[in-house]
Amino acid sequence: MSVLAYGVVAWLFLIGLYGVVTSRNLIHMVVCVSVAQSATDVLLLEIGYRAGGHAPVFVSLPAHPGPAVDAVTQALALTDVVVGATVTALLLALAVQVHKRAGTLDPDALRATKE
Amino acid sequence: MSRRARLALFAVAAAALAVTLGIGLAGLPSFGSQVSSYAKLLNVLAPRQRHVTDVVSAVTFDYRGIDTLFEEFILLGAVAGISMLLRPLSDEVRELPEDKVPDRAIPPPSPAVWLLAVLLSSLLALIGLETVTHGVLTPGGGFQAGVVLASAIYVVYLGTNYTTVERYQPDALLEASDGVGAFGFVVIGLLGLLAGDVFLTNVVGLGVTGNMIAGGTIALLNLTVGLEVAGGFAILASEFLDQTAVIRTRTKQ
Amino acid sequence: MTGVNFVSTSAVIPASVVVPLGAAALMAGFSRFLPRRARDLIAIAVAVATTTLTLILMAASAGHPMIYWFSGWRPAAGMVIGIDYAVGPLGAGMASLAGLLASAALVYCLRYFDSARGRHHALVLIFLAASVDFCLTGDLFNLFVAFELVAVTAFALTAYNAGHPAPLQGAINFAVTNSLGGMCVLMGVGFLYARTGSLNLAQIGQALAGHHADGLIVVAFALLAGGFLVKAAVVPFHFWLPDAYGSAPIPVCVLFAGVMSELGLFAVIRVWDTVFSGLAGDPGPRMRAVLLGLGILTALVGAVMALAQIHLKRMLAFVTVSHLGIYLIGAGLLTPLGLAGASLLVIGDGLAKSALFLGVGVVQHQRASVSETKLRGAGRGLAVTGVTVALGALVLADLPPFVSAAGHGLLVDAADRAGLPWMEIVIALCVVTSSAAVLRAAGRIWLGWGASESPERDSGTEDDPGDESNPAGTEAAARGPGERERPGRRKRAPLTMVLPPLALLAIGLGLGLTSGIEEHAVSAAAAFSDRAAYVAAVIGPHGGSAAARISVPASPPVSVGGVLTDLGQVLAVLCVAAIALDRRAARLRRVLSAGIGWLRRLHSGLVGDQVTWLAAGLAVLAALGLVALR
Repeated sequence: MSVLAYGVVAWLFLIGLYGVVTSRNLIHMVVCVSVAQSATDVLLLEIGYRAGGHAPVFVSLPAHPGPAVDAVTQALALTDVVVGATVTALLLALAVQVHKRAGTLDPDALRATKE
Repeated sequence: MSRRARLALFAVAAAALAVTLGIGLAGLPSFGSQVSSYAKLLNVLAPRQRHVTDVVSAVTFDYRGIDTLFEEFILLGAVAGISMLLRPLSDEVRELPEDKVPDRAIPPPSPAVWLLAVLLSSLLALIGLETVTHGVLTPGGGFQAGVVLASAIYVVYLGTNYTTVERYQPDALLEASDGVGAFGFVVIGLLGLLAGDVFLTNVVGLGVTGNMIAGGTIALLNLTVGLEVAGGFAILASEFLDQTAVIRTRTKQ
Repeated sequence: MTGVNFVSTSAVIPASVVVPLGAAALMAGFSRFLPRRARDLIAIAVAVATTTLTLILMAASAGHPMIYWFSGWRPAAGMVIGIDYAVGPLGAGMASLAGLLASAALVYCLRYFDSARGRHHALVLIFLAASVDFCLTGDLFNLFVAFELVAVTAFALTAYNAGHPAPLQGAINFAVTNSLGGMCVLMGVGFLYARTGSLNLAQIGQALAGHHADGLIVVAFALLAGGFLVKAAVVPFHFWLPDAYGSAPIPVCVLFAGVMSELGLFAVIRVWDTVFSGLAGDPGPRMRAVLLGLGILTALVGAVMALAQIHLKRMLAFVTVSHLGIYLIGAGLLTPLGLAGASLLVIGDGLAKSALFLGVGVVQHQRASVSETKLRGAGRGLAVTGVTVALGALVLADLPPFVSAAGHGLLVDAADRAGLPWMEIVIALCVVTSSAAVLRAAGRIWLGWGASESPERDSGTEDDPGDESNPAGTEAAARGPGERERPGRRKRAPLTMVLPPLALLAIGLGLGLTSGIEEHAVSAAAAFSDRAAYVAAVIGPHGGSAAARISVPASPPVSVGGVLTDLGQVLAVLCVAAIALDRRAARLRRVLSAGIGWLRRLHSGLVGDQVTWLAAGLAVLAALGLVALR
């Protein structure tokens, strides 16, 4: 179970990187960055998980509630989601302007900062 | 680098990275086996000390509140940055759809679509308000609620036309709510300083656990963050929509 | 120092971030209601106020660190519950530099950024607040959040000239690579939290002390260091920097070159000192080798590439990369003396680089170009700026008595004591090469020396758009009433553009002439590097009041030999610049430029390549970390 659970983290990050490296469309690249970001979210949430645990919300609990999962990692994941969303939005705005000005969405066709 | 060289280098690097991440992940405690003592302590302390039942809210807005202040400003900064990036440049002009053909009126939205938009928007606004006010009790809070409230505004875009939206959601109001929400967080933090304590201390009355108005500053911070996030995302929608619908390259006269 | 309570409730500490944040929020929300002058002046006032607050903190924390617990959550039973700021002179000094450069940039902005309607003020102020938080925080996740906040504002500011493809591409490269770096940092934080159960630097360091580094610790280090080194533009994570700095607006380059990249190095050393330095098996010497290797590589690559540039901003970008390598050499020696030298270099070079960027900005504003070859001889009438640029180049080459010379002296001494006397030669080589590139450009622009056509082909970067004039492709003057005229040959450069660089250089001179600056730097660095003292101050057995004795190594007095070496370096710069301009050396230049063609081709400006290098660099760093930490 551990291998599968944690393997997802490595897979998401690497496939996101692969997508960025081979991308031919800026929108696709932005989504791949977002996929890599979700790897970090999954890692944080998995670190805080407790088998058989309930959410760290202490209302309407059953008679023998058992342990609660980690609330700190959930707060960290929340912050990470906000960061990821803002970077995605910023990259999309850049993509909109690039399409207008350079006439292309292919990152490999952008030659404006070539050495 | 040629594409093939890039792929070859990446293949090697990714394999090495996969091994690296594997080693790191293998050192983690077995999935679901334990929770840190820090977390266990907070799960016990938070309901007692802060009279809230949602510990995640307590962590976000009280125990680790200063992180959330900066997180909120990431959103503010991104919104300011995007509205700066998508501003009309000197070779562009804002052209409302009706300006292009002034002798034809824009057909109003179909009544069915309009009704659906009103219903959906009201529902989303209600859910958003419920989420923001119940952040101290159940999962939810300012950030989540702000996005739901912003989607209530998006639905108006979907169901009506550009002019209607611009009339009822003036940019100035959205920007002001964005700024006020962020400034509100700072002000609430300053309350702690004014009370003689350190910044962001929970100095407002804590209320009774299980009530909606409990947790002191946690409830207040939920509200300001909700205001800021809603305003921020609405501005984003407005900016992107402007780029598509309104901003045109200036044609030589 | 027994019984001294390190916990502070001084309101100055939160004020140093709250003041710029609050002002930024109001600016962002209500900028459309404020007249332009009011916005500019308020922003400058807030930046200056923040600088003053951080200077106060630097002075107040000189004796012992000040620990500020946010939300009132002090450690209970040895466990840290809340987030703290651990204010020390090194961190506060770095924050002050950020404030100073932000103020200078905002003064320069009085004549720039016409169409952004005040949003850039909010962005610069948020950038400043995030930098201050980055330098003062004692919490690892707060460090990540500050890292991301600096990054997001920086991405937006880079792409201000959204009407041209170059800034947009630079911003995309910057955003994609640095976001991925941030994700690596977060994964490292997650690993450390899983192992130690804490997010506080002192507590994590205490939990790891004396233990052997296993796979998880090594990978956590590699991810943390890798992510921060992306920001710090260390080879091979540096490819984004010339693209971003080469096309960002001038006042933004001031912020970036002077402070942003150095923050990345600051974080690496901070995390090493507080968290990993206590690991069993004495990893220090091996980690030193890794960091020094990276530093030397970065310094060399930056210097060589700088010499090959004719685009002035890209040239300065590569000069920045080269100096970052030198700072990494200083900090990577992992001794207080080396760190002190690096800190003084950061200050001195930061001021000089900012002055250079501002000087290039004046040229761009008055002559509408940043290409060295196109500007040949065009410097007549901009004499003050010419002097500024030449002086800035020499200050970068450690011209005494500027403060960078003091830093260089400490750095060389630290390398000697670490048994690496040849480091001085490597540093001299890199510094001379990069400064000669700038001086060559100054000679060509102001004195009209050198061939009229450059033998190297023009670099692909289009000429810089400058302050938002007509976007590329629009020839006709599409100006509305009240818009600014196209920059052309104006009569005089405005004072608000010409004076700030001189002021920055003057501050560098003043600091260099301050007696005891080396002692202050060394004691600040010693306090920064002492892990046991830091842990005791934050979570000591008496709740943060345990005595902490910090041993301060004696700093060497300024020697005549050191001054002569620095002057020799300056002379070498003049010689190399002269050779670079001499027509008779054209064949030599052609051979050299052919020799580094492969290096130039690697800098393709394509984000796919840059991410590939990032992945490769991470893998290499992990392997090196394995060797160093086990």
